[in-house]
Amino acid sequence: MENSEENTDPVYKNKNYGQYRELFYSYDENGNFQKSVGFHGTTTRVPLEQAWDLFNERIEEARQKVLAGKASPIVYYMEKILADPMGLSMMAGVSLWKLKLHCRPAFFKRLSEKTLAKYAEAFNITIDQLKNIE
Amino acid sequence: MNSKPVMINYTHRQAGHCESGATSNLFNFYGVKMSEPMAFGIGTGIYFSYLPFIKLMFAPMMSFRNLPNTVFRRSTKYLGVDSTVIRKFSNVKDSMDALDRNLEKGIPTGVQVGVFNLTFFPPEYRQHYNMHNMVVFGKEGNLYHVSDTVMEHPQTLTYEDLVRVRWAKGAFAPKGKMYWINSMPGELDIRKAVKLGVDKSVYEMTKVPFWLIGIKGMRVMAKDIRKWPKKHGNQKAAFYLGQILRMAEDYGTGGAGFRYIYGAFLKESGEMFNNSQLLEASDIMGRTANKWREFTYLGARNCKNRSSQPAEDYNTLGDMMMEIAGMEEQVFKTIEKLKI
Repeated sequence: MENSEENTDPVYKNKNYGQYRELFYSYDENGNFQKSVGFHGTTTRVPLEQAWDLFNERIEEARQKVLAGKASPIVYYMEKILADPMGLSMMAGVSLWKLKLHCRPAFFKRLSEKTLAKYAEAFNITIDQLKNIE
Repeated sequence: MNSKPVMINYTHRQAGHCESGATSNLFNFYGVKMSEPMAFGIGTGIYFSYLPFIKLMFAPMMSFRNLPNTVFRRSTKYLGVDSTVIRKFSNVKDSMDALDRNLEKGIPTGVQVGVFNLTFFPPEYRQHYNMHNMVVFGKEGNLYHVSDTVMEHPQTLTYEDLVRVRWAKGAFAPKGKMYWINSMPGELDIRKAVKLGVDKSVYEMTKVPFWLIGIKGMRVMAKDIRKWPKKHGNQKAAFYLGQILRMAEDYGTGGAGFRYIYGAFLKESGEMFNNSQLLEASDIMGRTANKWREFTYLGARNCKNRSSQPAEDYNTLGDMMMEIAGMEEQVFKTIEKLKI
């Protein structure tokens, strides 16, 4: 997501969700299908905002847990890329039961560089970033 | 990577749906005037499945469209066009080399990608969804020119980014899948293709012997909507409802979960062959799509207000869903035994 800050496209400057032009079809009373290009309406943006509120909440919750030492950074980054354990195990190529162990700080400390690299690649970050969350 | 720049004279046109848009643009490149709804209809893009036991982004999964690559594969098959689909590559380098070779030959090539790491996509739309399609039509050094029909203008991606999205992991991983058209036959038999496409859609929406696919799946979902507030509590029910609305309206569907596009296909083909069955079905489909839009408006209001009597609201929504299912069944009954 780093690229989005440098992008000068007005879409990215505007923090409101759903602010890019898409093609929509509609059906009018005369029985014709119309095409129009436009922004998302307010009502269709509501579910999107609602979903992102929930995701952000989950990310913050995970971050607090990690800072308190109750979970490993993997939990935080997993929430950050919006994945569930099943999805992450597919993405990183680590089996599910191992991944659940790695979510505990004690097991995370003992991980080899090779396994850490697998996770780092799935999260698209460096190993240092994986070890220390901001 | 040090080859000379290639730029194919490919026209980018925005479309409602990624894959049918890419297919229609590819047909247009080879000199056949094919609109997006036409490609969508012949390629049997319309679909419905409700899979509550699979969670996508923490909510039950539902799909309004067919499996990835169906639209391209079926529309070229039914029209008798010579095309190639490479389902998967064994490694990254092979897949990129194959793409480069195609570009040097002047063939615009479609690729299946994952959305999450697409750099030009608005951040809030990025999710783990690996069934997106776009067409690569040019290369300059490290930069690839791509045409993503959901966006208004053509975009560029670097080599590394393109590798990342083509090799996205997770459910339905694309594994470097790519497809292109080799050559066009002189005459296209559109009449036969429409008949084949409509018959397949009728089968998939009404006759698949599985209770979560097609009209039956919509009825199951309607019953589940009524149960959500009691079963999961208010907040979770609102989030689950939001998933339906996002799937139907937000993620590049042309509105109302592709129902408008399919209606436009029925109308266009009906006018082309002067067929009353298709025209009648297109009118019902248009009204169904409007009903879908009503459903999403009502649902969005429900998400926003979290009203005091949620159970009643969810009952209303469930009834509405049942009505929509009935209307769609009528559409497919009308075109069941199509005579053209």
